[in-house]
Amino acid sequence: MTHAGEDLLAGYAAGTVEVAEVWSVEPHLMACARCRSVLSAHVDAGRLARNRSVLMVRAALGDAGRVRGLLCRCGVPDHLLRLLGATPSLRRSWLLSVLGVLAVVTAEAAAVRYGWVRASGPARSPEYRDAEVLAPFLLVAPLLVLAGVAAAFLPTFDPAFRLAVAAPFSGFTLLLVRSVCALAAALVPVVAATFLLPGPRWLPLALLLPSLALCALALAAATVLDPRAAAVTAGVLWAVPVLLLETAHGPLPIVQAHAQFACLAVLCACAVVLLARRDRFEWGWTR
Amino acid sequence: MTLDVSTAAVRVDGLSRRYGATRALDGVDLALERGITGLLGPNGAGKTTLLSILATVGEPDSGRVSVFGFDPRQAVQRVEIRRRLGYLPQELGYHRHFTVAAFLDYVAILKEITGRRRRAEEVARVLAAVGLETRARTRIRALSGGMRQRLGIAQALLGKPDLLVLDEPTAGLDPEQRLRFRELLSSLPGDPVIVLSTHQADDIAAICPHVVVLLQGQVQFTGTPAELAATAAGRVWAAGERDERAHLAWRGGDNRWRHVGDNPPAGAELVAPTVEDGYLLLSHAAGWR
Repeated sequence: MTHAGEDLLAGYAAGTVEVAEVWSVEPHLMACARCRSVLSAHVDAGRLARNRSVLMVRAALGDAGRVRGLLCRCGVPDHLLRLLGATPSLRRSWLLSVLGVLAVVTAEAAAVRYGWVRASGPARSPEYRDAEVLAPFLLVAPLLVLAGVAAAFLPTFDPAFRLAVAAPFSGFTLLLVRSVCALAAALVPVVAATFLLPGPRWLPLALLLPSLALCALALAAATVLDPRAAAVTAGVLWAVPVLLLETAHGPLPIVQAHAQFACLAVLCACAVVLLARRDRFEWGWTR
Repeated sequence: MTLDVSTAAVRVDGLSRRYGATRALDGVDLALERGITGLLGPNGAGKTTLLSILATVGEPDSGRVSVFGFDPRQAVQRVEIRRRLGYLPQELGYHRHFTVAAFLDYVAILKEITGRRRRAEEVARVLAAVGLETRARTRIRALSGGMRQRLGIAQALLGKPDLLVLDEPTAGLDPEQRLRFRELLSSLPGDPVIVLSTHQADDIAAICPHVVVLLQGQVQFTGTPAELAATAAGRVWAAGERDERAHLAWRGGDNRWRHVGDNPPAGAELVAPTVEDGYLLLSHAAGWR
């Protein structure tokens, strides 16, 4: 057997030989213990240890869940998924809680509408009753979306918030990425639930604008107020009109044409405020 | 030892910060050079406030800070400081569901290390530096307190920062880990500016060429550990019995009483002061209890 020259083995260990030579030397090394022994003298033990550590870390980082793996295959950047992994409202426990609340209000509405349980209060016309059973859902659904977005941007919910502040990554970008994904994640079950409700067919679409406006209002208000106060204010600004309208006219006016225009106006105004005051989300030393 | 303020890597001028009626920092002037500076002071002295301002997380009421010539009041320059910064807050929160490697990966992304390969190399490097390389797959909630502290130190080292701000980095570390931490800081490449706060005077004596003593929001001393120890020269005695007139007295390992104060006990022997003695006398003089 012809053995590989020591210069070739040294070059192979250092990674400086041509690809063709690598192809010829590797099969030989597989079969030749003597050349493997010569090669080992040229290998930098420290470099080997470092490479091994990097491989172990890459293996550890590759241990992604099924959803993460699927999103990776769909082309979502790996670093974006890692940032989203630190968003509480995108965690399974949060999403299950949202589904739980939606299941309760949806089931309650369906049970009353289809007569499985008797509605309390005075007897109403069938049309009024159909709309009335939607009231809890219309109150709760946009608030659930708001809660998801609030959990994505409130410092209270980020245990490593101070690290994020001290890092060069843009606070506004981080906020937008997390908020948009939390919004989408909460809207999917909310819209899906509306298909199970005994309401008008346009209801799934009618919930989108108020939910978006509410979240935009919370974010815009957070550029002026304490973020927690901003989220609570937005929630109150939804709950109070819903409850007042429900008492006077039934719950549906809050998602009908006039309200949709109002929500669109709020959404546009908040988007402008948010863009104009985005520096307020670069937390930390801001003066 | 006095530093040349005009050439210092980090400069702090007249920094003040209040929390309601409490004055956390009161006109602090500092100049930090490359190398390790230890910040010594009791709880409530303003150490954490000062470090959080240096890390651009906190904001002063008044005063100026310059880090490598960058002014943190300007948004663009603040980002430049953050690009050169490694920060370990006093109470670092963790995403407890993350694994050790995933948490470091997350912080690396926040530090703008977006390439997958480079992130893995950086994470492997800092894990090896703090001796956690075998814990890459462990969830943070399963780590002991000391391991979490090492993880905190590891994240601060990501990106090979030029300015390391470490708030009580040795808290929760066992004696061997503290020694390893000293070794780690001493062997960091690139001669970064390191400022660390601690209650451990022996940490300061062991690794810090510069010491700053902060009391009641004011700088009471800047110099070398030897100069701090020297402030207690002639005021530390060892005696067989306790003398009530001493500012502080405790029984040492040799079963003799060590007295720190101005009044020598009867039959006492003058002993060489330590950094701790100098610090105790300074804080006593400042009226700190």
